[in-house]
This record gives sequence, C-alpha cells and structure tokens, in this order.
Amino acid sequence: MAEQVKVNKPSKQRRKRDLILGINIFLFLLPALFLFVSILIAPIVVSVYRSFQDWNGMSEGVFIGLKNYRKLFSNSVTLNFVVALKNSLMLAFFSVFVQLPMALGLALVLGRKPKGERFYLTVFFMPVLISTVVIGQLWLKIYNPDYGLLNSFLKLINLETWTHIWVSDPKTALGSIIVPTIWQYVGYHMLLMYAGVKGVSPDLREAAMLDGATAGQVDRYVVIPIIKPIIRVSVIFAVTGSLKAYDLVYILTGGGPQKLTEVPSTLLQEQLFLANKYGMGSAISVMLIILCFACSLLITAAFREKDK
Amino acid sequence: MKKRIVSVLLAGAMALSLAACGETAPAATTEAPAAEAPAAEAPAAEEKKEEPAPAVEEKKEEAPAEEAAADAGEALTLNMWCIATESDSNRHSYEAAIADMAANHPEITLNWEAFENQSYKTKIKAAVAADEMPDIFFTWSCAFLGDFVDAGKVYCLDDAYKAYASELPEVMMGNSTYGGKHYGVPLTMNIVGLFANMELLKQVGYDEIPGSYDEFIKCCDALKAANIIPFGCAGKETWCVTEYLESVIEKSVGADALNDIFLGRATWNNADVGAAVDEFQKLVNNGYFDPSGAGLTNDEVKANFMAGKYAFYMNGTWNCADFAANADFKDKVKVSEFPVINADKAKLGQLIGGPSDTLAVAASSPNAEKAADYTFELGKLICHYGYLDGCGLPAWTPYGDTSGINPLTQAVSEICAKADSYVLFGDTAMSADDATTYLSYVDQVYGCAVNGTQFIEGLASDIR
Repeated sequence: MAEQVKVNKPSKQRRKRDLILGINIFLFLLPALFLFVSILIAPIVVSVYRSFQDWNGMSEGVFIGLKNYRKLFSNSVTLNFVVALKNSLMLAFFSVFVQLPMALGLALVLGRKPKGERFYLTVFFMPVLISTVVIGQLWLKIYNPDYGLLNSFLKLINLETWTHIWVSDPKTALGSIIVPTIWQYVGYHMLLMYAGVKGVSPDLREAAMLDGATAGQVDRYVVIPIIKPIIRVSVIFAVTGSLKAYDLVYILTGGGPQKLTEVPSTLLQEQLFLANKYGMGSAISVMLIILCFACSLLITAAFREKDK
Repeated sequence: MKKRIVSVLLAGAMALSLAACGETAPAATTEAPAAEAPAAEAPAAEEKKEEPAPAVEEKKEEAPAEEAAADAGEALTLNMWCIATESDSNRHSYEAAIADMAANHPEITLNWEAFENQSYKTKIKAAVAADEMPDIFFTWSCAFLGDFVDAGKVYCLDDAYKAYASELPEVMMGNSTYGGKHYGVPLTMNIVGLFANMELLKQVGYDEIPGSYDEFIKCCDALKAANIIPFGCAGKETWCVTEYLESVIEKSVGADALNDIFLGRATWNNADVGAAVDEFQKLVNNGYFDPSGAGLTNDEVKANFMAGKYAFYMNGTWNCADFAANADFKDKVKVSEFPVINADKAKLGQLIGGPSDTLAVAASSPNAEKAADYTFELGKLICHYGYLDGCGLPAWTPYGDTSGINPLTQAVSEICAKADSYVLFGDTAMSADDATTYLSYVDQVYGCAVNGTQFIEGLASDIR
C-alpha cells in the first residue's frame, strides 16, 4: 500500500513544472483580472457604497442607510421606479414574444437558402448598423403629427380618426418606443440564430426529409432544438437589453409624457445629472445590475429545466 | 523548455508594463484630496460660502510654470464650453466676441465648444462632479451656479471684477453672488415675452395684443373659432411650459409671492397658486394649445410660430434676434407682457426673468486668474454683440452705436423700463433637486394629470 502511494506521488520535477505552469497562468491572467476588477467590479462596489449615501456628486456624501432604496419604491411624481420597471418589463415582453419569434422565423426562412439570401440578410441586419440616434430621429419624423409618414399614410387610406400625436399621447407613447426597438434589433437576433441554423448538419435535414418530414417539421423538430443554446442567449440579450434600454427612449419621448415612458436608465440619468442626486442614481444602477443578473440566471435555469 | 521561458518572460513583461502604466496613479490620488478638501473641511453651508475656492490655491501651486508664462504674455490656451450652438440665437454674438478677443489677445488661444441646452445641463454637472471642467464655462446663475460654488468648484471673481465694476453694475452681479463673493460674469438679461403674430390677430379683428386678461381670452376664442391655434408650446421641453405657467401664476398671485416660493421663503401650499394652476389648465382644456406641441421640441414650435401656425408664443426674449432676422416674419411679430389675471395681487410690470446667462471660471483651471480677466472681457463683448443682435438686454452698460437695434428688442427694453419687479425662472432659482421635482409637477400639470390643489400639495411635501 505504502509502495503504491509512493508510485502515485508526483515527482519533484513534475511538481516544479506544475508550479511554473501555475505561475504562468496566473501572470497571463493578471492583466485581464486587473482590468476586470478595476473596470467592472470596482465601479459596482463604489456604486453600492454610494447608494447608501445622500450625495450630490460634488460635496461629501452622508450615510443614509436604505433610504434611497425605500424612496425608489415610494411611487412619487418625481421618481416612479415601479412605472419605469413596468415599462422595461413591457419592452422585454414584446422583445421576447414578438421580436425573437420574428427573428427566428426570418433565420429559419433564410436558412433554407432562398433566392437573394445575402441581400435579405443585409437588409434585415442594416438597422443594427445604424446609430440609435439616427434611428430615433428617423422614427420621430415618421411619428411627427404634422408631416409624419404614419399619419400621412393613415389620412391617405381614409383612416384619419386613427391619427395620433404618437410620442406624446399617454395611450400610444410606450408603443411608439416598442415598435422601433423591435424593428432595430430583429436583425441582430436574426443573425445570431441564422448562424445557428447554418451550423445544423445538412445530413440531419436530409434524414428528416427522407422520413417524410415537411420543411416546417424539420425546422420544428430538428433545427430549433439544435439552436436552443443560441435562442437562450438571444432571450438573455433581449431581456437584459430591455432592462437597460435608454437611447431610443431618451430620443423619442425623453421619458414623457408625464413620465409615463420612463425606464430605469432615463430615471437614472435624470437623478444623476439633472437632480444632482448621485446617491439615488447609484441605487437605481445597483437595482439594474441585480435585475439583469437575476433575469440572466432565471432564463438560464428555465432553459435548463426545459432541457431536462 | 524554451517556450516556457519565453512565456514566463512575456507574462512578466505584461505585468510589469501594467505596473509601469499605473505609476502615475499615486500622484493623481495624492492631488485629489486637495481638490476635495474645501467640502470636507467646511460642513456648514455658510462656512463654505465664505471660503469657496481654496482649491484654486492648491491648483495654482501645481502649475506655477504655466501661470508665470501666462503672466508674461506668452502663449496660453483656454478651453470654454457654452450653449451657443449653430441654431442658437446667441451664436453670432459669441463668434463676433471671440474673434475680437483673438485680435486683442493673440497670445491666448480659446478652444470653445457649444452644446445643446438640455444636454449641456447634464454635461456640465458631470464635468463638475468629475472635476473635469473647462477653464471657462457657461452657466445659469442663482441655484444652478450656486451648487457648484458650494462644492468649491468655481473660481472667485472678486479681484478681476474690480477692473470692470464701472461697466458692470453690482446689481447685475446679484444672481451670481454667494456669501458676498462674485462667481459669475452676467451676459444678457432676458424676460418671458408674449410674442404675437399680428397677421393672424388681424384676421380676428385685433390690431394690438389684448391688454386685459378677459380681452385676451376673447381673442383666443376668436382665434380658435377661425381655426387658428392660439398657443404653441413645446411639451417635450418642460422649461417651455414653465414660461406659460409661471406667467399665469405671477399675474395671479403677484411677483413677491412667487419669488418667496421659488426662494424657499414661503410654502408651495398656497391656495392662490393652486387657483392659478387651475386657470392655466383651463387654457389647456379650452384647446388653446396646439395638441401636437406636446411631442415637439422648442425649435420645432418656434419654427411653427414663425411659419404662422400659432398666434401666440410665450418664450424668452432671446428669441427677438431670430424673429428680427427673418425677413418674412419680422414685420408680423410684436411682443408684450402677459396680461394681469388678478389685479388685487398682481400688476403689469411684474416680469419673469432677469440676468441668468453667465460665464464662470473653474477653480481647477491652472490659469484661473488669467481666465477670470479674459472671461470679463469676453462677457462684455458677448453682451455687446448680443444686445446689438437682439438676444437680450445688456447686463453691462451699453456702448457704441445702438441705434440699429431691432424694434422687438427695443419693445422689450420699454417693457423692462416700466418693470416693477422680476422673478427669476423657477428652474434656475431653485436647486437642481428642487427644480427637477418642480419640472416633474409642471409636466403633470400640462398633461392635466394633476390639478392645482394636487400641484401645490405635492410640491409642498416634495420640496422642503
């Protein structure tokens, strides 16, 4: 027995080699670790610390415990985090249940190598390449109550009663944000899924076809199960992207009318830079981090559960 | 083995290079407490105001060579941020003033950048928080600048002001004076004016802007009946709504009452203010405002007004320059003050406005002393050209030939000459936190989501 242990024990030379390898790995990882900690972890830690303070960003902060967090959920006219969160979740809902199915549909169709595949791929992906500011301005022109394309079209087809002041009517403002958001990122998710669809072995398709499966059945029972990991990533991106949405909302409505289209990020910007409430802004950012993290874990868990 | 040695060397080199990159960091962190010191050492607001800019001394010590070079008339570069964008009425006055300064001071190079009004408020606050301000920056006086002064981020201009005191009356420095010290160079002063498209008013039988409130309402009804929209207001920029709302409140409760509320000397819970807000909502509910305006920016609404879409446009008198410069429009437009609603408490001559546009110098500027002198001289020129262009009334004593000033600005001069009192714009008079709360409520009022009572009670509880 003692002899066996002796045999299994690594030699001195091997231990030395392992040590050098370990040092090598550590040294190579050190710069990345340093950047990761200083750029990602440290700001989060500072934000958490600041979120417990009443701080105007210029003078000394005063520790106030959980007061900022309590105020976040106090439902006031100035700071309605619950409404902002609800809007983000609404955006996430439409992203997951409208945008992603559209993207999947397009990816599956393009995966069947239709005529002009490259052309359609470029066209659908183009909005992703355009700056969000440009897209925001473009949609503002579409929504313009006086000369906008949408109202002009409705008038043209004798639906004048349907015309609206889209971005400032409380009933249509949120919808006016959701539509361009879906439009902009459909191409992005489509491309992710298209790459997955293209990665499915043609043999599997052919085998299914030989068994008498239709194109739709091949997609449903062969392709979609294979690209499930990509769909999971798309869902995570869509949900966390909706929670972090800022640019389009800011350009289209600025959170208005009457703060009805406010999302956590616009609220954060207002609290930080307009109200000089850096403590409250930090509390919102901490909530955002927690929400994004929790959503990612939940989605991953949901997909894992389904796989079982 | 060779590979291993090379990899260890490479990793070591990378780690070392990172360490080397970080070498400057300790120096920066040792300097930081000096800049933060005033706030830390001065817990009471009063104390802070008395000793507002010791950080300047610290910074001056850090850059003695550059300071000395500047004093000796050697090349110096100053940076400035302002809001005189291409579409801003003040653009020309800035360009002309900066060109004059370049000719008068060839040794000083001014790098200036202009930002859109709303985004500038975010930018300058972020820069102040990060201590990355330019040498000279545009600011609004009163509470907006006051927050920066309290934090010790603004250079005290008392020494530089002495040389210009004869041309810049002390009273004009009032809104940028804190704890008895001067921190800003006022440019022009403006009020909220009731601009009217007389061509449209004539269509409903009015040759002049109605002087009484009852007549004014009749005029609005007549305009509405003639399918002319009485008011244009940019709901997307809440400060534009305040131009209307504050005028209605002031002409209902009087200037003193409103001023006391803005400055925190009286509570918002004032029934007269509530009634005034209800009166404003009556104007909204009567359909006097363009419903599309709720989704438009101020630039778009202004363009609509100049295109003849609205009969009235209430906004700052800095617009006189743009209106007067438009050949097709200048003869159609007239300006007046908003009529009195409650003659028992308010009267004509009570105006919203005052000297607010200001230039200030960053305490962190390595050339703060030189920048202070430069700012006064530049401010004087901007004021001069701005007045000639019709961007507002001069905060500085006017000089040169001013006979060519446009009739609109002259009309504003006449209104101001009869002024009884001024109430500074609410979002400028209040601190950033209170102003944000106030603007949120104004937004709710314009959308009729809250009524007058909810407005005053909400503000009384949220603004302490």
